[in-house]
Amino acid sequence: MREKILIANRGEIALRIMEACELLELDYVAVYTKEDEESLHVRRAKKKYRISDYRDMNDLLAVADEEKCIAIHPGYGFLSENYRFARRVIKRERPLIWIGPSWEAIRDLGNKLYMKKVAKELGIPIIPGTVDPLYNEIEAELKAEELLEEAEAQGFESISFLVKAVAGGGGMGIEEVKNLEEIRPVFRRVRAYAKRLFGEEGIIIEIKIPVFQHLEVQILGTKDGEYVHFGTRNCTIQSPFRQKRIELAPGFCERFQFNFDPKAVESAIINYSLKLAQHFNYDSVGTFEWLITPDGKYYLMEVNTRIQVENEISAKISFINGKQVNLLREQIRVALGDKLGYSQEDIEFRGMSLEFRLIAEDTRRGFMPLSGTITKFQFPDYPWLTVRTHVPQDRPYVIPTQFDPNLALAIIYAEDLENLLERSRRFLDEAIIEGITPKGDPLITNIPYLKEKLALIYQFI
Amino acid sequence: MKIDFSQLTELLQELKQNPYKLYPVYTPHTGKILEFLVKEGDAVRGPTGTWLEKPGTPLFVLEREKNPKIIRASHNGIVQDLRLDLVNKFVEAGEQVLTIRHPLSQEEVISEILLSALLIVRAPETARYILSPDLAKKLEKEGLGKVRVKTGDELLIMTFMKRETPITLSQEGQFVIFQLYFKPFELVQSGSPLIGLCPVEDLPNLEKLITRIKEEWS
Repeated sequence: MREKILIANRGEIALRIMEACELLELDYVAVYTKEDEESLHVRRAKKKYRISDYRDMNDLLAVADEEKCIAIHPGYGFLSENYRFARRVIKRERPLIWIGPSWEAIRDLGNKLYMKKVAKELGIPIIPGTVDPLYNEIEAELKAEELLEEAEAQGFESISFLVKAVAGGGGMGIEEVKNLEEIRPVFRRVRAYAKRLFGEEGIIIEIKIPVFQHLEVQILGTKDGEYVHFGTRNCTIQSPFRQKRIELAPGFCERFQFNFDPKAVESAIINYSLKLAQHFNYDSVGTFEWLITPDGKYYLMEVNTRIQVENEISAKISFINGKQVNLLREQIRVALGDKLGYSQEDIEFRGMSLEFRLIAEDTRRGFMPLSGTITKFQFPDYPWLTVRTHVPQDRPYVIPTQFDPNLALAIIYAEDLENLLERSRRFLDEAIIEGITPKGDPLITNIPYLKEKLALIYQFI
Repeated sequence: MKIDFSQLTELLQELKQNPYKLYPVYTPHTGKILEFLVKEGDAVRGPTGTWLEKPGTPLFVLEREKNPKIIRASHNGIVQDLRLDLVNKFVEAGEQVLTIRHPLSQEEVISEILLSALLIVRAPETARYILSPDLAKKLEKEGLGKVRVKTGDELLIMTFMKRETPITLSQEGQFVIFQLYFKPFELVQSGSPLIGLCPVEDLPNLEKLITRIKEEWS
């Protein structure tokens, strides 16, 4: 009998997991909620169960048992970085395999402060800042003075600080401070805000990096301690709320001017990422996010202990024995106990890839996500284009409002930069997304924004 | 905007002829239905007590992850359409397992009437809502049927796709906040009623109608 995987997620990632299962000749069971009945992931799955919520652990485990699944794939978002769930999956009376890193690695790397502490001990560069949460404004001012000296010694100019709530994120509970005298009042304000909003008062202070590129390293580890990387990605183009909109692989393009050796920086961040992964016995796919300054300094920001939305652009440029990689397939295979069967030398990097996130959002009004009905949804068909979407093309689709507003991912491959840009432009010109909002207005998408931002790829912004 | 009182009288007649409402009972989550605790035609009771602290009649047992859970009636009425075929089966979330035929009470008749009479502010999106803080304060002090709002006033704050958007009154005129249909931060389906407004000039007549229903419907 073929082994069965529970796909504990929705939308396009559920579809990509189904495809990977089919490649590995595994069976799968899908789940969905009432709002998602029209999603393609429901239509494609032969076996599926309606559950109350994608975050309902009991429902997921009950379905897994009912269907005699041997493993759970959490996808991204929802429970994918919930170490309690990862632990419960493997520690129950009928244990299941967790298709992701060990729960301990999720716990330790997901705690940003702890991760940075360990990184610092291992000599991995992190943004100059406090490692422990601060609760007192006098202490905060002292720390800021120390930071200022440290940053000046590192060659920073016109330094400003970020006062961040430990419990914050996504742009909430964070304020910029331009000079030391303001540290105490701002500290008190952010602390009061954090207490009110998150119920947690801890504050950290960091040096603000005004201009940068956002790079990330894709790694893969196994239970047997094998490690490889699939190069880097550049995710600098983000919405004002720090959500990625255009991603590129590889992370640097030599056709652009640099004040540093991009090859050396790339290999340094790869090696440091692997070092941290090994320290935590990391045994799955994972992403290490780095910030690169225009003079070639690099700082580790965070680790994503899951498969990422943008994994496929790395897969497109990575070849093993002449064949393109599928990272979801690799993730599942490794979780089920397979050895890699190849080493770093066998991975050849060829060409470039770009991903657009197509979203119904009003980029001129604060990137407001829009609800409504998609009435026309068409993409061109090219060998260099892969579109990942859960939106049906043969009938109107009401966008559910409970989830993130992504409609589709467009992944474009080319041999070089000219072709990549030309194809990306062609895709944006030819893609058609039409619809109406509940008020009856035409649905707006971010396609014009993506066209505009395409001019800024690989730049320091 | 004016309330059409003749139409309301018609609706009242209809409700008198068929004073029932059907409430389907769904499984709240997945699991195995171990047994039914009611039979076809049984009378069941919804939660009672001043704070609805006494739970409703047990209907069936749903077991998941080794936890049996008793699902109870949320309304008074008579059990019908019992799905006995589901006993000992694994069911999905949201499966309809029985229906409660519920006789309308006086308050419910009034609320049906109000839903047709009042100007209803409906949820523009499936989202979570709270009253605008100023309005919430006034309502807490003065109560329903007293607080006035006019065109352009901020009524609600909608939390939608992780953003907060204010909702203001777009209709022309002066209104009294007469009814609230939602709980703060609860998910409200798009198009569901949120607030019922009564035009200031219709307030005396509407209150008269409600008194009449209370007398006629005991």
